[in-house]
Amino acid sequence: MNDFKIACSYFWKYLKQYWVKMTVMIVLTLLATLFQVLAPIYMGNAVTELTKFVAQSGSSSAAGFMANFYVALKWMAIYFLLNVIAQFIAWMIMSKFNADATNNMRRNLFAKLQRMKIRYFDTHQDGKILSLFTSDIDNIFNALNNAIFELVSQGALFIGTIIVMMSINVKLALITMASTPFVLIIALVIMSKARRSLDAQQDEIANLNGYINEQINGEQVILSNGLQQESIAGFKKYNQRVKETMFQGQFYSGLLFPLMQGLSLLNLAIVIVGGIWLIVADAVNTAAGLGLIVMFVQYSQTYFQPITQLTSIYSSIQLALTGARRLAKVEAQAQEDPVPDGQVLTGLKEEVALNQVHFSYDKGKEILHGIDLSVPKGQMLALVGPTGSGKTTTMNLFNRFYDVDSGSVTFDGVDVRKLTLESLRAKVGIVLQDSLLFTGTIADNIKYGRPDASDEAMVNAAKQAQIHDFIVSLPDGYETQVSDEQSIFSTGQKQLVSIARTLLSDPDFLILDEATSNVDTVTEEKIQKAMDAVLKGRTSFVIAHRLKTIINADEIAVLRDGHVIERGSHADLLKLKGFYHDLYTNQMVLD
Amino acid sequence: MQILKPHFKRYWGSIVGAVVSIIIVAVSSLMQPRVLQYILDNLLKNDRQAMFHDGIVLVALAVVGVLAGITNVYFAARVAQGVTSDLREETYRKIQTFSLSNIEKFSASTLVVRLINDMNQVLNVVMMTFMQVLRVPIMVIGAFIMGIITIPRFWWLQVLMFLAVAVTLGLTFPQLGKMFSRFQKKLDKSNMIAKEAMQGIRVVKSFNQQENEETRFNEVSDEMNDLNIKIGYVFSCLLPAFFLICNLGITAVVYLVGLNVENNPGELAAITSYIGYLMQMLYTLAFGGMTLAMYARGTVALRRIKAVLDTKPDLVFAKDAPEVELSGDVEFKNVSFAYPGSDNETLQDISFTAKQGELIGIVGSTGSGKSTLAQLMTRLYDPTAGSVKVGGVDLRKVNEKSLRQAVALVLQKALLFSGTIADNLRQGKRDATTKDFKWAAEISQAAEFVERYDDQYEHLVEERSANFSGGQKQRLSIARGVVGKPKVLILDDSTSALDARSEKKVKEALEQKLTDTTIFVIAEKIFSVMDADKILVLDEGKLVAVGSHAELLETSDIYREIYATQRTKEALDEGEVLENE
Repeated sequence: MNDFKIACSYFWKYLKQYWVKMTVMIVLTLLATLFQVLAPIYMGNAVTELTKFVAQSGSSSAAGFMANFYVALKWMAIYFLLNVIAQFIAWMIMSKFNADATNNMRRNLFAKLQRMKIRYFDTHQDGKILSLFTSDIDNIFNALNNAIFELVSQGALFIGTIIVMMSINVKLALITMASTPFVLIIALVIMSKARRSLDAQQDEIANLNGYINEQINGEQVILSNGLQQESIAGFKKYNQRVKETMFQGQFYSGLLFPLMQGLSLLNLAIVIVGGIWLIVADAVNTAAGLGLIVMFVQYSQTYFQPITQLTSIYSSIQLALTGARRLAKVEAQAQEDPVPDGQVLTGLKEEVALNQVHFSYDKGKEILHGIDLSVPKGQMLALVGPTGSGKTTTMNLFNRFYDVDSGSVTFDGVDVRKLTLESLRAKVGIVLQDSLLFTGTIADNIKYGRPDASDEAMVNAAKQAQIHDFIVSLPDGYETQVSDEQSIFSTGQKQLVSIARTLLSDPDFLILDEATSNVDTVTEEKIQKAMDAVLKGRTSFVIAHRLKTIINADEIAVLRDGHVIERGSHADLLKLKGFYHDLYTNQMVLD
Repeated sequence: MQILKPHFKRYWGSIVGAVVSIIIVAVSSLMQPRVLQYILDNLLKNDRQAMFHDGIVLVALAVVGVLAGITNVYFAARVAQGVTSDLREETYRKIQTFSLSNIEKFSASTLVVRLINDMNQVLNVVMMTFMQVLRVPIMVIGAFIMGIITIPRFWWLQVLMFLAVAVTLGLTFPQLGKMFSRFQKKLDKSNMIAKEAMQGIRVVKSFNQQENEETRFNEVSDEMNDLNIKIGYVFSCLLPAFFLICNLGITAVVYLVGLNVENNPGELAAITSYIGYLMQMLYTLAFGGMTLAMYARGTVALRRIKAVLDTKPDLVFAKDAPEVELSGDVEFKNVSFAYPGSDNETLQDISFTAKQGELIGIVGSTGSGKSTLAQLMTRLYDPTAGSVKVGGVDLRKVNEKSLRQAVALVLQKALLFSGTIADNLRQGKRDATTKDFKWAAEISQAAEFVERYDDQYEHLVEERSANFSGGQKQRLSIARGVVGKPKVLILDDSTSALDARSEKKVKEALEQKLTDTTIFVIAEKIFSVMDADKILVLDEGKLVAVGSHAELLETSDIYREIYATQRTKEALDEGEVLENE
């Protein structure tokens, strides 16, 4: 129930600004339903008048019946027309505000994601976050389009029919509705069965997908070991399971429609039999009883229509509610604090420091146990240590991707939490290990941090980053379209582009996570030069893997299990004959 | 559709079941207004006997309708599942006959999409065919005929309304189709932006680019919204238009009956059932139109699958080649190679020989063609010119099984498959025993960590082998390469993630235990192959020098140069160490 409330308040949040349109649309839908019910009554009247006309044919009153027929026919036509017009306007209004509301959900979701803390992205899979866009918003849009209209019109039809039936004959009305609970139970049982089979089906498809993905991406191994037959044998197992579960899913979800149709017909038979029984048992006047049955034959069908329709949109409403709940959950996530009233960081004058920093991702599992480090202006600090020692974690603290549990990170003695987030990040540059290219031109990518930079400045940055020559060798030069997936750039070259990006934005303090990937000697040379260029004259903090980088550092800090265990220059640390010495003589296999 | 045809044969029983049951469903729906008409007639006539009889017929119709409906769903799902899973298997089998370049041409990810998403589209189409599409013509024609039987003189009205609905649908659906495909493209674009903004969230944040990203996304989102509204408007017109046609038809029927009621009083009783047939015809037609739109998506999917099935494997092993035991002699004779679709020759006129048991080093920078050379030796590709021989047999004429037994390739990117360690090792030798595993794992230095697991070689390899470090993966991958005791073993930079000590141990073990095997070691750095019997130096696809380390230092300028640069760096570091000590 609570979940339901969350979903509803999410919908309300986005729909409330359209309340006028929504009211108009609902009123129009109710009117359309009313006209839809009225038209057949006038049709019945028209037929009655015609019957009378035929019976009285030749007598003087005949002309009057004919005139009545035309009046009834006129009203029937008018109600038909009004029904269509009301529907048309209701749908036009609805299409617009549904689309707009969905658009707002989509835009807000993206904006929210841009403002959320890094922790969310580190703890949630990209694919799952993306499915908010690809499936949840889509489900909501579809449901809004179908469900709102159907809920209103079919709900009105359902209640209206019950009221009319009860006002005509309570007993026959009860007979008409008697089977409804059973029908609903059958429908619910089938739907829940269908849902379970569909879930199982999704799981099996995911398994098959995983298998195929792994096999085809590993085709080189399959081919060079001649494993094609084995691969097919494995495939058949997964394929068979998909076949079985999908059969169940399709069978159960396909059952609902024919079943409801058949039940509607059976109910009709019950109504007729019940009507005849009433005539006999209650000794109702035969003529009146017959008229009653004729009417209830119609009403029984009108009564069943909403049941069939509503059960068929039930699953789409379910999906929309689930989607709204997920989206509401994301909207409730903590946001980064931009510190709007904070101090503006204009430049680094003395030093960047970590003071007694304790940090944990999960409470109770501390990763950094009181770290003290400082980088004086213009100097380079290299951080080395084995996997899991806390290097990346430390890096995450400078520009507030994460905040410390206790202790502080300071720029010229000012705690980063007291600086405006924008000014902090504008002064802190970061070159990550896995460099990412955005879809767009190479120029877009280099100018990413400073879209207003001149082409001259861009070329200059590319030259310093040793990537200019390669870019101009491409047919479209800087205007070449790139994306992260396509392979114009090798991993090493991507890193060069991201160094150029950072050079152009000219940060005061630089964080560099050196790539560990294997590159050839030539590229390695280029990366080295590019790094020299970007590090020159800058205060920097480098997670170092290459020996040369480490040796060039002004100070080296050795991190192990969340403690800084050794600090000093390369020479100092070697003399210590400690952990660093071990690492070094072991040929610096750090990752 | 023709790619589905052969698969239908296997399910002819279910197909007959689905077709027969859908016909029964359609016929029972068509009979329903008629029976109701009889009941009302008899009610008015107060003929209880007949009414009772008709009531039973109505119940029977309902029961038959439900049963036939369920039977139809059952058989339709059977056929749809059977046919698509067979087609999926056929497609997968086809992919397994592909060469590496076939697969690269499609790209692995599109192949996966075709096998899963496209196949699901096909499934929906088949399911629809046997549930609805067959029903549509029966119902439309049946209702049309029943209508004419009920009130014959209105035949022209029926034709008119049929045409009105058909024309309305015919005019709007193609437009809608175009809008939907435009929407799909926008959706893909917005997903791409969202995906990049997720994956690059650190970059976005550190460059303060949140607002620009939002603008970029909102632009596409607004375009999507415009299309959504347009599509909504089209539907807002289409559906009322359809109801308008229906309502006009009903009004016309009542009016026309009234106009001539003196001459045809019998038509009065028939109005209800006549209108019933009219509606059955029009609703089924509209429904048929909707399914047609789904069909369009399905045919696109079928075409994409057909493209896979129609692809000719561009590398086929000679079927009649006898299975022989190949020796470890390798010979390249004037081999040139260009990747399909590329004009640049990755390898140019390469000739060399390697004798069984030799250790051959191959060095050169990235892009010099080292890995390509390895791929030619395992016949993942054929050379564009010249010939590659293993054990004296040209690879174009070799028996596939013989080659796979003789040559093993270990890649730099150690690919393990989910399953157990044993499963992965068995890929190198199908009937390998635990003894073989141990032997191979000891050579590759994998034994030291594998044998620490309680379940040892039955230890699970998770998806993306996430439970192993880079170094462990490489050691297992090397074990897979050596377990079959190949005559030729190619290590393509496959010790890059190992520390120097382990790398040395692996090398020593290989030399001691695989004395009979020709070993190729591909490396960036000369130091890794200095002790080889022969070193091949590649530069931009050309074999620029061959010889032992000592010989090359004498004869090859390029080799000397590379060695010098790599050495100075090392020496510099080395020197500093000494200096500091």
